[in-house]
Amino acid sequence: MGKTADLLPGTLDMLILKAVSLKPLHGYGVLLRIQQISGDALEIPQGSLYPALYRLEHQELIAAEWGVSDNNRRAKYYTLTPAGRHRLREETAGWNRLASAITSALNATPEEV
Amino acid sequence: MLKRLRSLFRVLKSRSGFEQGMTEEIRFHIEQYTDDLVRSGVSTQEAARRARIEFGGLNRVQEDCREARGLRTFDELRRQLRHAGRLLRKSPGFTATALLTLAVCLGANLTMFAVIDSILLRPLPFPEAGRLVTVFNSYPKASVDRDGSSVTNYYERRGKIPALASLSIYRNGTAVVGDPGSTEREPSAKVSPEFFATLETGPAVGRAFTEAETSFQTDRVVILTDPYWRQHFNADTGVIGRQIRVDGIPNTVVGVLPPDFRFLSSKARLYFPFSSSLEDRGPRQRHSGGNYKHLIARLKPGATLDQAQAQIDAQNAALEMDDSRAKMLADAGFRSVVAPLQADHVASIRPTLLWMQAGALTLLLIGAVNLTNLLLIRANSRLKEMAVRQALGASRWHVVSEVVVETTLLTLTGGLLGLAIGAVVVRLLRLMGADRLPLGSYIAVDGRMACAAVLGSVVLGVAIAIPIAWFNLRGPCANAIQSETRGGTSSRAAQGLRHGFIVAQIALALVLLAGAGLLGLSLEKVMAVSPGFRPDHVLTGQISVPWNKYPNWTSRLTFNARLMESVTRQPGVSAAAIVNNVPLSGNSGKSAATVKGYVRRPGETLRAHYSYGVDGDYFTAMGFSLREGRFLTAADSRRPERVCVVDEDFARYYWPGVNAIGKQLNPGGDAAVDAELFTVVGIVGAVKQSALTDQIAQGAVYYPYALRRDDNLFVVVRASLPPESLGPVLQRLIREIDPELPVNDLRSMDTRIADSLVTRRSPALLAAIFSGIALLLTAVGTYGVLSYAVAQRRREIGVRMALGAQPSQIRAQFLALALRLLSAGTGLGILGAWFIGKAMQTLLFQVPALHIATLTAAATVTGIITLVACLLPSHRAAQISPMEALAEP
Repeated sequence: MGKTADLLPGTLDMLILKAVSLKPLHGYGVLLRIQQISGDALEIPQGSLYPALYRLEHQELIAAEWGVSDNNRRAKYYTLTPAGRHRLREETAGWNRLASAITSALNATPEEV
Repeated sequence: MLKRLRSLFRVLKSRSGFEQGMTEEIRFHIEQYTDDLVRSGVSTQEAARRARIEFGGLNRVQEDCREARGLRTFDELRRQLRHAGRLLRKSPGFTATALLTLAVCLGANLTMFAVIDSILLRPLPFPEAGRLVTVFNSYPKASVDRDGSSVTNYYERRGKIPALASLSIYRNGTAVVGDPGSTEREPSAKVSPEFFATLETGPAVGRAFTEAETSFQTDRVVILTDPYWRQHFNADTGVIGRQIRVDGIPNTVVGVLPPDFRFLSSKARLYFPFSSSLEDRGPRQRHSGGNYKHLIARLKPGATLDQAQAQIDAQNAALEMDDSRAKMLADAGFRSVVAPLQADHVASIRPTLLWMQAGALTLLLIGAVNLTNLLLIRANSRLKEMAVRQALGASRWHVVSEVVVETTLLTLTGGLLGLAIGAVVVRLLRLMGADRLPLGSYIAVDGRMACAAVLGSVVLGVAIAIPIAWFNLRGPCANAIQSETRGGTSSRAAQGLRHGFIVAQIALALVLLAGAGLLGLSLEKVMAVSPGFRPDHVLTGQISVPWNKYPNWTSRLTFNARLMESVTRQPGVSAAAIVNNVPLSGNSGKSAATVKGYVRRPGETLRAHYSYGVDGDYFTAMGFSLREGRFLTAADSRRPERVCVVDEDFARYYWPGVNAIGKQLNPGGDAAVDAELFTVVGIVGAVKQSALTDQIAQGAVYYPYALRRDDNLFVVVRASLPPESLGPVLQRLIREIDPELPVNDLRSMDTRIADSLVTRRSPALLAAIFSGIALLLTAVGTYGVLSYAVAQRRREIGVRMALGAQPSQIRAQFLALALRLLSAGTGLGILGAWFIGKAMQTLLFQVPALHIATLTAAATVTGIITLVACLLPSHRAAQISPMEALAEP
């Protein structure tokens, strides 16, 4: 396991939306998926995952439905709603703008100033 | 926002389902994690421990989840509701008093709201009803403020006034409908072809009238209202083209109106075309409105009332240019007035209704003050609890919301009870004659009243909470906690607030009582007014003698003579008459009369007088008094000599100090040839014509029957029997002469007089009820506050008595407090009563704004009731035993 980074505030919602957008997942699945797609680089505080899921469901960005897990247990599965898809696109674009701006700022050299 | 509410609603629908799901989901998570840890080689026990630790505090997470779903506020509210409910159940006496107060006060207000909403607020049931107007002629200087509109007005104006999209004329009346033997007098209306188009509400089945149907030869068509259609045709849509007999002649049904069609207060069940002759439409008839033909019109979109008024004024001015009567009209102050249809229809009742609502609101204010005082007393006893809770970290928001929840729970429950009371009272209003008010038959309990109940209750709940919350918050924490356990004297500010409220209550109750007194006094004065005739033992009823069946005076007079003869043959009947109108019937019409040889003084205008056409012994039957000469008799209607009777006001006006007998006059505004003049043969006492409150001596002329062309007639019978018992007899006698003629509106003159007072009696009665409740509430409030003061100062009193104070001193001390409050309240109340009396002048009859006797009586009653309420607590204070008071823990 490599070195893990703390989440930036406000990015958890975006990551959950991304994780759910790939495939319907239950809560624990969301946690695993985020770790997986971030190459185990991000550590999600487990306690804040569920409030975040509930908040997103409250905003109707994701929808929940009870289903059966791989090991045949009842589990609540989350899927992305159209509104959630829209939000994910917006957040991704916003993040990319921010990231490239910060990257270019950090790459500045004395000659460019 | 909507999304979140929807989501919250979904969760609330199955709250336990939500909790279960959340627990299950979290358990699943922890178990899955544990399994994964075990799989990676951690021992089962260690895995379970780590899973729990990494997940964090379960309660904390669950609480965060609930908040994320917007449930926290709701949960808090539920907790506070449960808490408030427990508190209220704990003190059933207080809760019952509060709920009863609220139910009565809110019930009174909701009832008044239902009345005002149906009559003043709700628009008429037509599309864009705000654009509907009425136009009427007014001759103020001839003391005719309102005279309807003429057929000529209608034909001259329609299509000519650019601001009006459409214009229509109508008149209400009665039609005799049905086959011989089973005829009924049905209220009906005659309307011009564009009537329904003006209202933009047309027949649901069939068609409206056409222009071709407005002549006397072609108007045998009828449009049915929905109730008539259901009752007589079983809602058969094939009714179009069928025939019904109206006034003995078959009429073809051309249309049926929609179920909810209602036009102002009209009770019409059948609609006929408004037919007229070319003569009726000519310039000579321009001013013969007679206050029973009315114009309605619809403003064009965007056009204003002022534009329509200006255009009609301009047209009138142009028409007067070549009118020989222009000078006379100018003298009479003639003007055609355009007014909003609904506002005009309810204008007479508007101030009374608003005053009644003001009375109800005053009652509510007293009730609210009462409740606030009781709650303040309770808050005072919980002051320490509040202080402790605040010291322990309860937020200000929490303290405030708790109070708001409690008061709102109370007011909402009270509001629902009030709604139930209001629903019952609205039904009772009918018994008080509310359906005789304009639009009064549409007063109903409905969703708007329920909304008003909920809204009003919530607003009231919050308003009452404000002083309580303020009191709870300002209570200085440290002081309250440290203050002696047994409770010393209450804080000065709280006491001042309570006493101020008592003063306000006394003042308001006094104002209400004085107002009710003024209304009652006016009613008494009106009832004491003599109508000028003897109304006892007189039965009156209406019949319609159709012109197409009795086309000439001979046949009509024969009918009258046969009817009066058979009526007078009945045992107990002393006189019978047929007349075109009776006093106080609500449709008194005035018309001009020209007196021969009378020269008007400069500036004096033509006067309008009440005019009647009488057949039979009208004056004897109605109980008129004869001043000079003789009454008209049945014979006068059957002789060529033209004679008439005038009343004393008329005689005094035209022939002051001269004997009027033998003088001559002519009906109408123009001089006539001598052969057509009527000679005065008698002078009778003046009677009240349109209302008992008539102030102007307008004068009246009584002509023999054959002068007036009315279809609608009154039969007047004086008998020694109770008048109402004669009704069926009269009906039978009329049917014996003509099986097609029904009689209706059978009422004794006493009843007619009582009915004419409905807009005075009901307000006076309501105001009396309101002030009775207000006094009771004030007594309860004063008693409560004073009892509390005594209980609070038990120890102090005990100490003083132990040191030698006499019980009488203690009693005097509390009575003095009561007297101080009472005198302040009475002072303010008298000021208020004077102000209210001035503002209410339009509602009063011969009662000055400051009526000393009423005010004194009101102040005395309020004073006595308040003092009685104070006696018991003061007495209890004097009875306190020092031993017991000091020994108490």
